[in-house]
Amino acid sequence: MAGTEAPRVEAVRLSRFEQLPWRRIILVILGIVVIGVVAVGATRTLTLAKADGGYSAGAWRDFVVQGAAQGAIFAMIALGYSLVYGILRMINFAHGEVFMAGAFGSFFFADAYEKSGFLDRDPILALAIITAVAVGISVGTAVLLERLAYRPLRNAPRLVPLITAIGASLFLQNTFRGFFGPQPYGYPKPVVLAGNITVLGVPVQRIQLLVLVVAVICMTVLQWFVSTTTTGRSMRAVAQDREIASLMGINVDRVIVITFAIGGVLAGIAGVLYSLTFEQVQFTMGFRPGIAAFTSAVLGGIGSIGGAALGGFVIGLLQAVGPPLILTGFGIPSVFSLRDAFVFLVLVLVLVFRPGGLLGTGEAEKV
Amino acid sequence: MARTRWIRMGAAAGVVMVFLALVGLIGGFTDVNLIGDQITFAGLMLVLPAFAAGLVAAAPRVEGGERYEMRLSEAMIAAAVAGAAAGVTFALAVVLADWIGAERIRTVFLNVTPQLMEFVNFGQATAPGALLIVAISTLAGVIGGTLRAAPPPVRRPVTSAVIVTLMFGFLQRVIPIALDQLKLERDWLYSSQFDGLTWIGAVVVGVVTAGISGLNARFGERLRGGLAQAGGRSGPTFSPVRLATGAIALGLLLVAPLLLGSVISEVLGTVMVFALLGVGLNIVVGYAGLLDLGYVFFFALGAYSLALLTGATLNAYGIPPEPAISGHLNFYVAIPIVMVIAAAAGVLVGAPVLRLRGDYLALVTLGLGEMVTVLVGSPWFVPLVGGPSGMRGITDAAIGGLAFRDPQRFYYLALAFVGLAAFISWRLATSRIGRAWTAMREDEQTADAMGISTTRFKLLAFAIGGSIGSLGGALFAVKIGSLTPASFQVLVSIQVLGLVILGGMGSIPGVIVGALVLVGLPGLLREFEEYRFLAYGAAVVAVMVLRPQGLVPNVRRSRELQDEERAQDEWAKAVEEGETPPEIATTGAAT
Repeated sequence: MAGTEAPRVEAVRLSRFEQLPWRRIILVILGIVVIGVVAVGATRTLTLAKADGGYSAGAWRDFVVQGAAQGAIFAMIALGYSLVYGILRMINFAHGEVFMAGAFGSFFFADAYEKSGFLDRDPILALAIITAVAVGISVGTAVLLERLAYRPLRNAPRLVPLITAIGASLFLQNTFRGFFGPQPYGYPKPVVLAGNITVLGVPVQRIQLLVLVVAVICMTVLQWFVSTTTTGRSMRAVAQDREIASLMGINVDRVIVITFAIGGVLAGIAGVLYSLTFEQVQFTMGFRPGIAAFTSAVLGGIGSIGGAALGGFVIGLLQAVGPPLILTGFGIPSVFSLRDAFVFLVLVLVLVFRPGGLLGTGEAEKV
Repeated sequence: MARTRWIRMGAAAGVVMVFLALVGLIGGFTDVNLIGDQITFAGLMLVLPAFAAGLVAAAPRVEGGERYEMRLSEAMIAAAVAGAAAGVTFALAVVLADWIGAERIRTVFLNVTPQLMEFVNFGQATAPGALLIVAISTLAGVIGGTLRAAPPPVRRPVTSAVIVTLMFGFLQRVIPIALDQLKLERDWLYSSQFDGLTWIGAVVVGVVTAGISGLNARFGERLRGGLAQAGGRSGPTFSPVRLATGAIALGLLLVAPLLLGSVISEVLGTVMVFALLGVGLNIVVGYAGLLDLGYVFFFALGAYSLALLTGATLNAYGIPPEPAISGHLNFYVAIPIVMVIAAAAGVLVGAPVLRLRGDYLALVTLGLGEMVTVLVGSPWFVPLVGGPSGMRGITDAAIGGLAFRDPQRFYYLALAFVGLAAFISWRLATSRIGRAWTAMREDEQTADAMGISTTRFKLLAFAIGGSIGSLGGALFAVKIGSLTPASFQVLVSIQVLGLVILGGMGSIPGVIVGALVLVGLPGLLREFEEYRFLAYGAAVVAVMVLRPQGLVPNVRRSRELQDEERAQDEWAKAVEEGETPPEIATTGAAT
């Protein structure tokens, strides 16, 4: 290396072809294609006669209500991703399993209460206990996860915690499979929650109304907590700069544990609501809602509470309304089975076009 | 102060024991004999946590920057305390379970069977059973602690002897077959009555291993030194010892199916398909540092495009069996086409997403992989790929009259492809492209500033990794002969990622070892199948926390990363000073 000759520097010459902004061009083409497909699909669906598989106004209304209720659940899970990301800058891939753990654990209580008649005799108290159990299990799982798997990797290269999280997710799923078996269990639903109720002239399933109300309460409380309490302030401080926050006398480890715990609380509540809606629990139930919730968090702008809530509702609506609206027009059979693929497609498109999210700062786009 | 630490460690081990019992790793394995009919897999699981607690309690500690080694007596006390704490924790759980009644617990925790209770009570009533648990755990702890505190000339041979003997016990379905094929006497080694090793066999295996290990400690260094001098070039990539190890490993891989018969060759064929996928993913993740969680995309692409190109038929009812697009090419003509398609797909998929930061890229690829899974199984694509019922009648890759569907022959076909892919990937890694990937992986912005076109090299990694992955898919299709969407779950991506990580990112021998351990071992012990993914998850977490460079680290990479290693050692030390994650560590060790 220590030669006497000066190193020759050759200028890197790019050909005209290579100088073209390829990425920009591909993105524009992709964007035009997406918009075109959406426009054509929607027009064709909306002009479709009912006999040919078109939908009535009532059907669309139901899709919207259903989507909003789903979205509320996604939003609650998304907050867990978003809070943790805000503080540790890591994607807690196992958060879907935190959600599953609470839902699955609470099943055994719900089942016992149903068999003893307690669930229908005193549904409010019974559901409160069931929710408390779910929250307890979810919080426990989240905190253990942080303590055993993530804390040792706090200063590791960025991808290491993500890979660990994937491993932890697989481990948790299969732990529940080992404990309780691979089969799905039917989740009981109290009689009070069955049937419809009319709100402002719109027929809504009772359970959907419950989901929406609980979600709105939870998010309001969380917003209040983070913006006004001392703990909330320290959370925001740690999110901005961990080192400076610790110099200011904030116990960073404690704040991180609290963040995971809050995510666990919301995931536990969401788990009960989800199980009451779909009346089934299984060890794999965390994966797809987890991905949908993560998509919501990114769509809204990861790290922001309002963003996660907004993203959740948008994704919920998109996955309920999108497939019938866009895909039916192209004559694709059984559009509802493509719901999950639709969510993934939205995830890919969001990350490609707007990785900073709707309310985000664009910080996520490095380079 | 130290005493509370020992107790805490022991209690954690006790919790691990409860976990193992609940998850079914004890109750389901009381009949799997490893040595005689006394040492069963279940028994091993039962004492291993206490043993590990003793081992860790007696390990040297770093306090105030000074290394503190315990004297033997001290270590034994520490280990006894830890072992006893583990035993007490577990015994309390067992007493509680006895009090509630196994039948009642079983309505929730499926694995708490009366058989399990009988096993953990050693067939005794509650009180004497609990005492026995505490006594045995304490003993296991003391053995672990003594072993840890023993001087290295004693510790190393004993450790290797125990591990190798247990491995022989695990491989009870493999080694006897090989002995039969070689026309060697097997009854002294493996009991025909209990399946596991006989006691005589166990002692012989143990003593031989200990002897080899002792000789290695005594003369190995000198021998290696001599060999290195004789070899002349002493670079670590070409050291004679490594070459010799490689040659032996290659020889074993070549004769394995002949020795092991068709049942095990079937498993080994799957191992090779996964090894091929691993070599491909290793280029993307290990060399270029792009975390791809949607690798199943290329796997499915390879399998289905091969099926379409070689004239497979649809399985679905009520529609013509000919797919919408169909060719009738020979396997060896179709393969290059499949690979080109996959490379093109890699570029197309990669182009819009490559500017994303690492973790976002991971999730986009996960999304793409999942989308493929859903789409392949959806009614929408029935005329093309058969939807949920899939396709059948896939070519058997015959050359002349020689077909490769037979497990033993398939293994060689797959091995040949793995060898080819490994060679290409090795040459790439040491080329200019490989160095560009390394630079990019370590610091993308700096690499960019040095004039490396990161976009181009990322796309190249995706294209090459993708085409090797599609090769894996094509071979899988040949192996199975039919395709259903169930084979193309997101779990495939995670499995491949797991084996790359376990073996060591960027290391080709690591990929093979990873595939053998993660795909091969669970396939050999049929009872273990259900716990495969539990072990995967535990292994990935354990490797990331305890040994991020993997089992067989990439030499060049570890040299390059020495500074980073030091930083990693620091966080490893932080783990040591806090609590080691015991649950994960022991289950990982058990796989």
